[in-house]
Amino acid sequence: MIPETKLHILQQLINTSSKEEIIWIHGYLNGLVSGQGTNGTSEIKKAVKKISILYGTETGNSKKLALQFTAAAKQHSLMAKCTAVEQYRNEDLTKEENLFIIISTQGEGEPPETAKKFYDYIHQSQTQLPNLKYSILALGDSSYPLFCKTGEDVDAQLQRLGATRILPVQNCDVDYEQPAETWFNRVFGLYATEQSQQAVVPQQTTKNGEAKKHVKKNIEGVITRSVNLNDKDSTRRTWHIEIRADEDLDYDAGDSIAIIPSNRHEVVERIIELGKADPNEYVQLSKSAGTIRDLLTNKLNICYLLGSAVKKYATVSGHEIPDIRMDLVDLLRIYPLKDETPFSEVLGLLHPIAPRLYSVSSSAKAEPREVHITVGLNGFLKQDEQHYGLCSSFLGDLPVGTPITFYVHRNRSFKLPDATRDIIMVGPGTGIAPFRAFLQERDVEAASGRNWLFFGERNFTSDFFYQTEIQQYHETGVLQRVNVAFSRDTEKKIYVQHKMKEHGKALFEWLENGAVFYVAGSKVPMSHEVEETLLGIISEHGRKSEDAAKEYLDHLKKEGRYQKDVY
Amino acid sequence: MADKQYTAVERIKLASDGLRGSLAASLTDELTGAIREDDQSLIKFHGMYQQDDRDRREERSEKKLEWLYSFMIRLRLPGGFMTGEQWLGMHHIAGEHATEVIKITTRQTIQLHGILKSHIKPTLRSFDTLKLDSIAACGDVNRNVTCSSHPMESAVHQQVFEYADKISLMALPKTRSYYENWLDKEPLLNKEEEIDPLYQDRYLPRKFKISIAIPPNNDVDVFSNDVALIAIVENNELKGFNIAAGGGLGTTHGSTVTYPRLATVLGFCDTEEKVLKAVYEIITIQRDHGDRTDRKQARLKYTIDRMGVENFKKELELRCGFQLEAPRPFEFTERIDHFGWNIGANGKWHYTAFVETGRVTDDKRASFKTAFYEIASTGKANFRFTANQNVIVSDVDEAEKSLIHEILARYGVIGVTEQSREMRKNAIACVAFNTCPLALAEAQRYLPTLITKLEPILEKHRVIDDAISIRMTGCPNGCGRPTLSEIGLIGTGYGKYNMHLGGDRNGLRLNRKYKENLEEPEILAVLDQLIGHYSVEREQGESFGDYVIRKNIV
Repeated sequence: MIPETKLHILQQLINTSSKEEIIWIHGYLNGLVSGQGTNGTSEIKKAVKKISILYGTETGNSKKLALQFTAAAKQHSLMAKCTAVEQYRNEDLTKEENLFIIISTQGEGEPPETAKKFYDYIHQSQTQLPNLKYSILALGDSSYPLFCKTGEDVDAQLQRLGATRILPVQNCDVDYEQPAETWFNRVFGLYATEQSQQAVVPQQTTKNGEAKKHVKKNIEGVITRSVNLNDKDSTRRTWHIEIRADEDLDYDAGDSIAIIPSNRHEVVERIIELGKADPNEYVQLSKSAGTIRDLLTNKLNICYLLGSAVKKYATVSGHEIPDIRMDLVDLLRIYPLKDETPFSEVLGLLHPIAPRLYSVSSSAKAEPREVHITVGLNGFLKQDEQHYGLCSSFLGDLPVGTPITFYVHRNRSFKLPDATRDIIMVGPGTGIAPFRAFLQERDVEAASGRNWLFFGERNFTSDFFYQTEIQQYHETGVLQRVNVAFSRDTEKKIYVQHKMKEHGKALFEWLENGAVFYVAGSKVPMSHEVEETLLGIISEHGRKSEDAAKEYLDHLKKEGRYQKDVY
Repeated sequence: MADKQYTAVERIKLASDGLRGSLAASLTDELTGAIREDDQSLIKFHGMYQQDDRDRREERSEKKLEWLYSFMIRLRLPGGFMTGEQWLGMHHIAGEHATEVIKITTRQTIQLHGILKSHIKPTLRSFDTLKLDSIAACGDVNRNVTCSSHPMESAVHQQVFEYADKISLMALPKTRSYYENWLDKEPLLNKEEEIDPLYQDRYLPRKFKISIAIPPNNDVDVFSNDVALIAIVENNELKGFNIAAGGGLGTTHGSTVTYPRLATVLGFCDTEEKVLKAVYEIITIQRDHGDRTDRKQARLKYTIDRMGVENFKKELELRCGFQLEAPRPFEFTERIDHFGWNIGANGKWHYTAFVETGRVTDDKRASFKTAFYEIASTGKANFRFTANQNVIVSDVDEAEKSLIHEILARYGVIGVTEQSREMRKNAIACVAFNTCPLALAEAQRYLPTLITKLEPILEKHRVIDDAISIRMTGCPNGCGRPTLSEIGLIGTGYGKYNMHLGGDRNGLRLNRKYKENLEEPEILAVLDQLIGHYSVEREQGESFGDYVIRKNIV
């Protein structure tokens, strides 16, 4: 069939290859052949495969390996998501298809403290995992008899739940580097095979070409996670909130979502009581309709009424009320309605609940059915104009499982450039939100453009939002540069703009190289000071006059390379 | 051994350029409160450990914050002595940069916890202005040299005490990295100035501990050290030292090749020159012959057992160029701190205060920290620290004694010292949770509570005035010397301890494992029963440790 010389080369190749390599070659050739059969091209397209990596660590070794593994996986064109097991939502196991667990064993065969919840969960769970393929790298210290027991336990439980072990558990002693690397390579060997086979499967037609229609469409979601990102002794209160929908979401990094908050149940009931209203009475208002309870809960603003509404209430109730803003419940309490006044008259003077906008801090490309937001208490304060009564901490108070309605609010002027372009992101405080979305997206898409983040807050130990994620992006090469400023840690307050100035030379080089510059967060004074500093950098390192620097910046704006999302 | 690889720590030491490593870059890394992994091994040589608040790991991970990293800094304080002025400075440093608690260690020094990365330099700079340093307080070098602490022990106490300082200086690493990295001193122009004939570029295979005891009090647990010097005093004159080597208490759970060992007496040296030379050469033998391929086999005790005591002694004499004399007779009859006021040979007064688990702080019961601060402010006293984690307010003139006494009484120090019962006063616990990365179980946070539960049992069996020694550690590494106690509790997992019994009361006999993985109810039940029998069946003057051995209970 083939000439002897070629056969010889082939045999030589086989003789010098490991089993995994031969399997890979098999897959590769197979792919080549079937590829020719369908579209006549021998080009192997890379199908990016998603893998999840979980680590449970006590001393940090498992974490270190997990990060190494993640970085290496990306180089093997695998879409790798690495999570600390204590941060993992155990219910998500059912959604995993390719899972790699790196976990150590403590003392007498126990799991690391941080992995206890996960460990207990998989021991108790009855949910079968038929779609799950997994392998485990087990760390331990062989001077203890049960040195890799946790890894073995996890393996046994996943077997019990019907998951498929694709590589045997790899045990590692204190000298773990070598066996771990072997395991990494075995894993990559397996995917090399699979990918080349999959690459020839004809791609399904996608909607990529279609123009997106942007209709304000209300989406029903559920809060699946709500975490105060600040540590307990912080002067700040900032929430990371994850919302999950039952449909794939259509938003881009840089967009916001609008949430219509609902009023607190106990306040609504008190209003109904004070107003002697029938909560089930159906009322038709000019812009909305519903039962009184529904209107008060979901449609009408009852907090800190505008002066005009208070005036109208004064007329309706016949009281003399000073020119102030108040909560409806207080008005009803202090200036009661006359018995004969129908409650619907009060409803008529209320304004609708204003939707609140939050910059999205996740990428739909990473988790199509999820949207995350990052909300500071300051944000609430602002929207309620320094009034924080019963309504203000609405989002932070909502427990996991609460349904929530939102719609996507586009922001066309705050968007990622093409994947090859460098970006500089300045996002102190909750200004970090859109940049977390940017980074997720650039990570998932394995974008080749470099990323540089400036973040600032008050205290390093308590206010470093998304610190572990940022560290991971840095260690896996997604973030080339990160600079942080914590204003309350030093006698002289240091802010992001000081860090920009400190690294001005490099920053200007990035700009010269075509980078897009983004700033997000508070408009005053932050974004102004950032702009001033940016002008200074352009002037200093570009050796330009003040006017020429302004021109340079105007030019950046025109090119869409200076984008702001400030409030 | 030739075919085995050096441990990772050995490679780090060798490549560290005089313990500098990448410390400079680690310190300026803004993203983390931790330092780079390799540097974590190196900072030990500079007297600090990276730790994190283990109680808060899960909560912080949930918040996407890294673990709450901080640093423990331990001073080099040979013989455990500090002037009043230094104590004042220390008091302020603890408040400004650390957790406020001043922790007295089982090696007569002080350590401060919870120091954030950005506070390390300011802390060490402040120490430097007080003429204090933390060089070699941890790491694979000679650590803090301990010495019988109480000046009343002997007329020659001062003379013996000065040996601690001399040995510490002799065995100090020569590298200037401490001054460059932490105190921002200019790098040496001539690197030859830091050539280190003792440690070379590889330091020791493992930590190295030296202690000096003045019989009859073995308050320093001298035999638990790599090198143990026993002062030979005749007619109030220091004649020299018996030299012993190869002590060490650390073990690893489940590992049969690790064991605690007491130092073996090798011989006697008379002159200072010979004593220092012998100590120096014991270190060089360990440097050259210690196992660098396995840290669990690297202490001097294993080196000596591999070589054999006689061969080891021969090698030592060869390196010294002189023979050791036959050991002189000595006797240890106690291992205690003399609480309360005592007068020393020089006519000065000393008050030994009982500091439970060595934590100097202010709490509801007493204000030790304020008391010591006020005493230090008078300028009328020095401070000494004992290997049992207590504080001696020291060198007080007769004329000032009542002033100092009044302060001690006012803040409750005297009350606590006098009212605490014997078992509590002789107990030792290591730090363990929440900061020690090695801890498997609680120790200093738990032992006081356990003793409170044991006291009624002791009372019931009428042995409450018996100083039964109880020691607890959170892991088998032995910082609290649990294997040299009558009741040793060694953590195996959270809330679980191996119980060791049968040590003597003077630190001359190791105890043995009696039961494994006991939880509190079992600990109390077991001790209730054994102590019950002991109180009835003991012979005249027989300690609990001796009793369980005689009855073959262990």
